[in-house]
Amino acid sequence: MPTAIPLPSNVSPATVANTASLLRIVALLLISGAAIASRLFAVVNFESVIHEFDPWFNYRATRVLASKGFYEFWNWFDPTAWYPLGRVVGGTVYPGLMATSGVIYNILHSLNLPVDIRNICVLLAPGFSALTAWATYMFTKEMKDESAGLLAAAFIGIVPGYISRSVAGSYDNEAIAIFLLMFTFFCWIKALKLGSALFGTVAAVFYFYMVAAWGGYAFITNMIPLHALVLILMGRFTSRLYVAYSSWYAIGTLASMQVPFVGFQPVRTSEHMAALGVFGLLQIIAFAELVRSHVSSQQFKRLLYISVAAIGVLGGLAFVGMTYKGWIAPWTGRFYSLWDTGYAKKYIPIIASVSEHQPTAWPSFFMDLQFLIFLFPAGVVFCFRQLRDEHIFVIVYAVVASYFAGVMVRLMLTLTPVVCVASAVALSSLLDTYIDVREPEVAEEPATDNSTQGAAPTNGTNGSQATTPASATTTTKKAKKPAQPTSALGDLVSLVTSKTGKETVGVFGIDTRLTVILNALGMLVFFVFHCTWVTSSAYSSPSVVLASHGADGSMHIIDDFREAYYWLRQNTPQDAVVMSWWDYGYQIAGMADRPTLVDNNTWNNTHIATVGKAMASSEEVAYPILRKHDVDYVLVIFGGVLGYSGDDINKFLWMVRIAQGVWPDEIQEPNYFTPSGEYRVDERASQTMKDSLMYKMSYYRFAELYGGGPATDRVRNQQVPKVGPTLDYLEEAYTSENWIVRIYQVKKEDPLGRDHKTANSFTHGKKRKRSKPAPRRKAIAG
Amino acid sequence: MMLLSSLVLLLSGVISGTLAKSSTGNTVLVVVETAKQSNYSKFFKGLENKGFDLTFREPKAESPVIIQDDVPSFSHVIVLASDAKNFAKDITPQTLIELTTLKTNLLIALSPKQTPLSSLAAEFSLILPTPGSVLYSYFPERADKPTVVPVNIPQTPITSQKGPVFFSGVPFALGDNPLLVPILNAPVEGFAAESTSAEVLVEAADRGGEGLWAGSRLGLVTGFQTLDGARVTWVGGPEVFSDEYAAKEGPNGVKAANAQFVQDVAAWTFQESLVLRVDKVNHFLANTTTSLEQYTTNDNIEFSAYISAYDAKTGTWAPYSGITDMQLEFTMLDPHIRTALLPVPGVPGKYSKTFRAPDRHGVFKFVINYKRKGYSYLQSSTIVPVVPPRHDGYPRFLSAAWPYYAGAISTSLGFFVFSALWLAGDSRPAKKGKAQKTE
Amino acid sequence: MPSRLALLYALLLVPFSLALTTHERLVNLAAAGNGVIKLDTYTFDLLTAPKRNWTAAIHFTALDPRRRCAPCAEFNPAWQAVAKAWSTVDQAHKDNHFFGTIDFDDGQAVFQKLSLASAPVVYVYPATEGSRAPASGKSAPFKYDFSSGFEAGPLAEQLSPHTPIPIPYRDPINWGRVISSGFIGLGVLAAIKFASPLLKSRWAWAAGCLVTTLVMTSGLMFTRIRASPYTGRDGGWIAAGFQNQFGQEVHVVAVVYGLLAFAFTMLTLVVPLQRSPQRQRIQVYLWTTVIMIVYSMLVSLFRVKNRGYPFKLFL
Repeated sequence: MPTAIPLPSNVSPATVANTASLLRIVALLLISGAAIASRLFAVVNFESVIHEFDPWFNYRATRVLASKGFYEFWNWFDPTAWYPLGRVVGGTVYPGLMATSGVIYNILHSLNLPVDIRNICVLLAPGFSALTAWATYMFTKEMKDESAGLLAAAFIGIVPGYISRSVAGSYDNEAIAIFLLMFTFFCWIKALKLGSALFGTVAAVFYFYMVAAWGGYAFITNMIPLHALVLILMGRFTSRLYVAYSSWYAIGTLASMQVPFVGFQPVRTSEHMAALGVFGLLQIIAFAELVRSHVSSQQFKRLLYISVAAIGVLGGLAFVGMTYKGWIAPWTGRFYSLWDTGYAKKYIPIIASVSEHQPTAWPSFFMDLQFLIFLFPAGVVFCFRQLRDEHIFVIVYAVVASYFAGVMVRLMLTLTPVVCVASAVALSSLLDTYIDVREPEVAEEPATDNSTQGAAPTNGTNGSQATTPASATTTTKKAKKPAQPTSALGDLVSLVTSKTGKETVGVFGIDTRLTVILNALGMLVFFVFHCTWVTSSAYSSPSVVLASHGADGSMHIIDDFREAYYWLRQNTPQDAVVMSWWDYGYQIAGMADRPTLVDNNTWNNTHIATVGKAMASSEEVAYPILRKHDVDYVLVIFGGVLGYSGDDINKFLWMVRIAQGVWPDEIQEPNYFTPSGEYRVDERASQTMKDSLMYKMSYYRFAELYGGGPATDRVRNQQVPKVGPTLDYLEEAYTSENWIVRIYQVKKEDPLGRDHKTANSFTHGKKRKRSKPAPRRKAIAG
Repeated sequence: MMLLSSLVLLLSGVISGTLAKSSTGNTVLVVVETAKQSNYSKFFKGLENKGFDLTFREPKAESPVIIQDDVPSFSHVIVLASDAKNFAKDITPQTLIELTTLKTNLLIALSPKQTPLSSLAAEFSLILPTPGSVLYSYFPERADKPTVVPVNIPQTPITSQKGPVFFSGVPFALGDNPLLVPILNAPVEGFAAESTSAEVLVEAADRGGEGLWAGSRLGLVTGFQTLDGARVTWVGGPEVFSDEYAAKEGPNGVKAANAQFVQDVAAWTFQESLVLRVDKVNHFLANTTTSLEQYTTNDNIEFSAYISAYDAKTGTWAPYSGITDMQLEFTMLDPHIRTALLPVPGVPGKYSKTFRAPDRHGVFKFVINYKRKGYSYLQSSTIVPVVPPRHDGYPRFLSAAWPYYAGAISTSLGFFVFSALWLAGDSRPAKKGKAQKTE
Repeated sequence: MPSRLALLYALLLVPFSLALTTHERLVNLAAAGNGVIKLDTYTFDLLTAPKRNWTAAIHFTALDPRRRCAPCAEFNPAWQAVAKAWSTVDQAHKDNHFFGTIDFDDGQAVFQKLSLASAPVVYVYPATEGSRAPASGKSAPFKYDFSSGFEAGPLAEQLSPHTPIPIPYRDPINWGRVISSGFIGLGVLAAIKFASPLLKSRWAWAAGCLVTTLVMTSGLMFTRIRASPYTGRDGGWIAAGFQNQFGQEVHVVAVVYGLLAFAFTMLTLVVPLQRSPQRQRIQVYLWTTVIMIVYSMLVSLFRVKNRGYPFKLFL
């Protein structure tokens, strides 16, 4: 057989196989190394620190778990969160992440490796990303072959869409969840392929782990039933499907109910009903198949089909009825907002206010996936070409996940694995075709047309288009020039309509191979550069520590958050309650170790609205609220000096909106706008805005900083009034270096029983208006 | 244990008893003009006899300063220089209020004139009549001027003895501040006026008393206890303290009670009488003696407070069981439980209550907030979380769950029977089943 | 002397009628205007008299086409519908709340007095007397918040706290939608019946899936949720900013992705079928060039959206 390049001839097939498997192992190891290393930018650029908000809670919980053991963690009641309601942490948390770190911590310590729990937490996500790469390799191997698997592993190892949630220090549930997701899917595919109850059980076990680790487990809970349902609808019901699904569902559901936070949800809520419904459907169909194999009467079969359909419809109606009756909880807001995209903004502003829950614009897709985003549809086409059961899974996954990722930025994370798998399939098909060194035999030109003509009618067994290629190709002889595209089109059409496809010939020549391969390689290299740049510049900021770059490229670290939190830790009593907007609750609890009113676990809307009301009201109204909740310090984030746009004034409208939801009579959003409907902080700001606690605390003494010059808020680019707001009920306790964090102390009640406004004006030596005992005069006279 | 602690208390009491009679300290600064100092010699003598250490200072003298580096130099301050228009610059209304926040007690005499002290009085919810007004009373008939008024002492815990107190000076109306403690009010016939010229009185009478400050609601000597626990006493005029008034005789030949009255007032002001404190509080699970860091919902909790009163005679703190109207609150945002906290018979000073925690988890506080006029405020707040039951704290066996138990048992049995039958069975049906499966 | 009697009668009536008719006149006006009082400067003052025991919801608008107030025209039907719904309530409650509309052309003075520069605006004037006067004594009007759109449903819902009883407004059944969904349902049934070969064809499904993934990854949902315009106001079709996009970008980006995916598919699936080396070579080069050029275009488009992006290809 002719080859494009000379091949060595004295190599035994066993050697080739062994070398290939060795190379695969080496490649996987290298991919793991790259995956871990690329996630360490944050540690190298900053330090080994926990990032953002939620990770701080996870870290704190992990410390409790590591120091007190699992049972104490399970029963942990945190009296410092949601003061004074407290939080039953054990029952309101997905413990998988903490348990994982705890196990690693204990193993290392039993090996006499005294690793700090913080380092385990920081490095857990990179470590698990290596496992994710392996799981993706296994999954993709089931789709195509090992080479596609390696490509997919490499993609997921460095793709920014996944790195965004798994850099070192991003100690969040997603860090381990994606590995569990991929591995559960792999086990499911394997179980489905083999009809193996064992793999079904393994899938269930990993499903349980996933349930224990991430609220996004509902994605698996609905993805696998959807796949099963599509297979049934396509008439691909097999006993393999039955065994795989039944073993997965029965064991997985029972196991998932052991997680305290999940409890009876799998049988009580709508999110889980699809899985139950498909389980029931499978039982009915299996029964029907059994009966069918024993009974031959045609009518009986028809009767069976009708009864299966009727039972399905009845089951659906029963589900609706039970939802209506309240036995099954309807969709929760978070899930519901995926379908009715306007729902959250109207009814649950807390969900709508989170930036992760915003819809995704196309640049985000390109930023996170780069060239994979357009290889992905090509990969889906390849899946359609073969359309085995597992390919259907990828197709369903692709469609569903791309919709979800479009609705919510956060769900980009679930889209990323399938994009990697599909594009790896596409790219490896391309490389397979062009790296293949076998040189095809040159055929006569008319033969091509003939073969096309001959092949199409015989192979195109079904479909109305079967005649099109023939009619199209008959015209080729008339015009030589359009022959090229026409024949290419003809090839495509014949490919589309036939099942087996036309005999693939191969690629001629070395230059064509090199062109395509070099092009592909160039794109891969570009992808690596892109990923490195995105990871280092966009996704490796801890957000606890900020960095600014000078004109000469020098980096300046802005460490206001930790500075302020440590101030709280060192200078306030242990039980001093700190009020802030909920975004900072976990950080205050984690870094300052002080009780907080509200935090990122937004379970109690009223409590959050209370904080929102306090922030949005005037001092006189807010003070009783603060005293009632024993608030000692109020913390606000203010970016006006530095131009830090994620500050509280920019989030203020959400506070107003959430408070308005609970107290529509007292807080009204339009009052915070200027008469012309603008949101301003300068002279023209509305009086309600200027009186609000948030405004006062943000701009207190701000104008003094500019020493009489125009005081410009650098976030909103507005000049604030020269005479700043005054505070009577609070006093400034601390302001960080760049003014990002400002902490105010709530004054105790005046010892003389005056209100603070009067007391304050007395302290400043203002003359009090002579009061007269007017209402008592009669009594005195009498 | 109890014995030891009381011994320690006794010991400390003995030591302090030799030093002072007040529970907060024995140093007193008296701001008075040197010329007038001798007018009040009996009063000062009485204080010195009780063990107070008096320091005198001219109103305009620069030293000794009353407050240095945010630390008060004296435990108590008496301002008798009521007429002074100007004080040294460290004595201002602001610094005097700052003193009260630093637990210094004040005894302040007012004057009919407009002085810095008049504006200070307003901060304590005292409402002064127009400048120049003094208390007049023509009853009972007597030889003295109508501005020197004998007032009968009401029965309050602060003042015990009977007899008239001679008063002259400015009366004041009391605001609605609950922290005020009226000690001596004007007689019913008393009124405040700038002058007693006939025109003024007739005019006022024509208006039916409108515009006239009169009656027994006017305060003459009024205490004020700040939330921090400092005591401030306002006296309408310094003459009450004078030797002259102490030696006076009343209209019916009754001896004036001024000498004892001013000592009583000083004793209250300087934290000698009616001083209570919460020594300690503790809480247990009922019928145990170990204090828990947190309780479970529906636990029975026993809460105890130990309260002592200051005994000025011995200068010691002694357990005090005399409070019968104290309340205990178990609070999370709002009181979930509010109950009487009564003395335990047989254990002096101990007040106790056993109650069931609410069926609600959260961070609760045991709150004692006992405020009675004249007495020191008793305030105590102890934070304790109430948590839901532990994972193994729930009942293990529920009769309502029998359907589930039955389901689990029957499935297990069925599996066992099926396996046994299948293993023991013939190979023929097994083959058939296998064929089905591989299909 | 009948004329003198009449005069006397009239004199007697004047103060009487003046005292009563403010409210009565409003009731009559409301009845005449199908539940909405068409206001001018004078009746506006009547309706918002400082002493009033009724509440009034007043809609400031500019319906004259010359004023070019598109939102006004959009909002007006909703306002009329809610007012009409109010006119169906019980007489006892109905007369305690009025709906009024004042057009800019009828009451410029009112607009100036309230310094209103935009329309539509809805103010609700609370009662100042009687049992329905707010306890706080507030007489300043409440301004309706248009953030929930111009629909009648939210309007009725938000006005209801100010009316004596909730406005019994119910969305009319959208017959158009019912009929069209019925037709769609029939169409689906027909499709199942007649186009089952198409439904059973995998490549029809493939096309559907591809289009779905392409438009979703091009940000279709973003434009739907954020209601982005199709193009910018100045006709530009690229929205500034990384987290923003116009409707047209969806199409362009989807086509670009689709073209690139198509080129890859051609290279992998179709080119190897070609038996003629020459033709095959041309195809390879053609598709490779297409990929390079389109990809470069995509990257440069991305550079427009993300200014800090440091890489570029051939364009």
